[in-house]
Amino acid sequence: MDAFHFFATSWVSPELLGLTALGTFLGIYVGAIPGLSVTMAVSILISFTFSWDVNNALCLMVGVYMGGVYGGSRTAILLNIPGAPSAIATAMDGYPLAKKGLAGEAIGLSTVMSVIGGFVGIIVLALAAPTVSEFAITFQPRDYMMLGVLGIMLVGSLSGNSLAKGIFAGALGLLIGTVGLDPMSAEERFTFGVVDLWDGINPVAVMIGMFGVSEALHQLHHMDKAVVKQKISRIIPKLSDIKKYLPLSLQSSFIGVIVGALPGTGGDIAALMAYDHAKRTTKDPKVPFGEGAKEGLIAPESANNAAVGGAYIPMLTLGIPGDAVTAVFIGALFIHGLNPGPLLLVEQPQMFWFTVGNLTLANIFVLIFGLTGIRLFSKIVECPKGILIPLIFLLSIVGAYAINNAVIDIWWMLAFGAFGYFMRLYGFPVGPVILGVILSSLTDENWRRAILTESGSLGNFFAHIFTSPLSSILFMSIVLIFVSQTSLWKKHLKPRLLRSK
Amino acid sequence: MGLTSHTPRLRSPGVIMSSLLSTQKVRKPGERIFCFLLIVFSVFLFWQAYQIAGFSSLSSSGAFPLAASATMVLASCVVFVNTLKLPAAEGIQFFRHCLPPVVSIIMAIILLYAVAIESLGFILSSLVFLCVCIQLLYRRSPLFTLSISILALIVVYIIFRLVFQVVLPEGVMPERDIIAAITTWWSH
Repeated sequence: MDAFHFFATSWVSPELLGLTALGTFLGIYVGAIPGLSVTMAVSILISFTFSWDVNNALCLMVGVYMGGVYGGSRTAILLNIPGAPSAIATAMDGYPLAKKGLAGEAIGLSTVMSVIGGFVGIIVLALAAPTVSEFAITFQPRDYMMLGVLGIMLVGSLSGNSLAKGIFAGALGLLIGTVGLDPMSAEERFTFGVVDLWDGINPVAVMIGMFGVSEALHQLHHMDKAVVKQKISRIIPKLSDIKKYLPLSLQSSFIGVIVGALPGTGGDIAALMAYDHAKRTTKDPKVPFGEGAKEGLIAPESANNAAVGGAYIPMLTLGIPGDAVTAVFIGALFIHGLNPGPLLLVEQPQMFWFTVGNLTLANIFVLIFGLTGIRLFSKIVECPKGILIPLIFLLSIVGAYAINNAVIDIWWMLAFGAFGYFMRLYGFPVGPVILGVILSSLTDENWRRAILTESGSLGNFFAHIFTSPLSSILFMSIVLIFVSQTSLWKKHLKPRLLRSK
Repeated sequence: MGLTSHTPRLRSPGVIMSSLLSTQKVRKPGERIFCFLLIVFSVFLFWQAYQIAGFSSLSSSGAFPLAASATMVLASCVVFVNTLKLPAAEGIQFFRHCLPPVVSIIMAIILLYAVAIESLGFILSSLVFLCVCIQLLYRRSPLFTLSISILALIVVYIIFRLVFQVVLPEGVMPERDIIAAITTWWSH
């Protein structure tokens, strides 16, 4: 009964209800406007909501997350420009539908299917998280360390075009996270004798720089892109359509949850996999895929929203973020004094059920806002980039300042913004940097705990890895990701092995 | 349906950039130097990590930074070698497609804004910043720019300063007095 009580916290408080609604509303626009991203918005929001009560801050951010994942589909359908990476697959059939004059129907259908996907994700989160977290209590420090490394490797190998660049970015993030006084021995690390650096570099400043400023600087390359100009008529989808596509939507949702729950994979990959699944299982679609098949719209939309619930599983039970957005989210939880990890469910069950309830609420708001206010929507999305981009810079600077009311954070933010600009320019992914910063202390401390229990012997460390099934699996996964990306495997081993099959 | 389909101009830097980002089979101008600088930077960090505790023990406070910076050195070397192998991109100039003037100018303006925000205060410096940037990026009449900047600033100020209670640098504006005056006037 307690669980239900915590679940309903944000439903019965007018303040929390209002903040969730506001967050979802903002999220839909942030997701829809090309050039604004959920990671950007949540990074900036952390700095502003910093002094708030934790529940209020979480309500706003959960809403932005849920709304943002859905909102990306809007511009994908209307403009063929995915507002968020998770909407790339949506554009493939959504835009052809809009060109046929079915934009309203496509938006309505994608809204309903997103909400169904969202619910599946939340239900799986509520059912699976307690079990995962019970299992996670048996994890050894070395397992945590390897999970951290695994997450960074996965994000690094999936988000960029080269594993070496991803690894570089991840290692850089880990190193940025170690700046300051060592939490275990209070020794100075990379402080160069500057007292201001004792507290380290604020991760929020790194996030705003990498996701806010550097992204906005990149947008300056694309100033001449289109603005929306269209009329949308009927938006409430037909009940027969929903009934007809419900099985596909549920299948896609389960793909979404599972992919979302894996560390390093988020809504974008879930959506592409679900699209592929729909293409393979739909025997004879009314309209071919790529030319406006409704199946091709429903599958990715269900999957990317289901992935939100999935991504919360490792985040809340292991303290390991699945992708860049959840990495930013974990940062927020830490800032508010929560310790995501296996003990969260034991020590603070109210936080877990509060989050589940809040996600459900945000999902309902997605349905409400998704099916209404379309006229206002097209007005706001028309906001020209020449006005939008200066505003992003303004908010980034104010956000960086607001963390500690210190100008030093603005400088860090700008430095990482400029560095992030060049990283993006030359194909280095920035997601692993943030993941590294967030996971740095967890990986560092667990490594030292692990090696201390082995009395400093590397031999014993590896011997114990191979005597524990979980450790061996984690270790083998790390090795596998690494080997599968090297040229030795790609050029020599892969062709031979595949031929022998 | 009044959907405007936009055929992007093929020559626009944005289109060239995005096609480059998706394939990455060529080397962009400045990429070699950037990757080389990353190696230098990584080696410097490795040296700094070594200074923390040397190679004393695997559980020292320097062990993890040493491992991370060593990874950076190795990864940056691999990236550098891979970059050298790629053929140079044709028809792409560093100051036109990679760091176009607009990006450098905006970077410089942001820098000035960051310097000015503490001494001038949030309201004045932000107003100037918004006016300059919007005029530069969205060329309309100065009056339009000024009014849209003021409007945006009022919205931002109300949301963040008054509703979210974020502390913003005051600078030369006697902001607190103005707010106090307004609240007393309001309560009368």
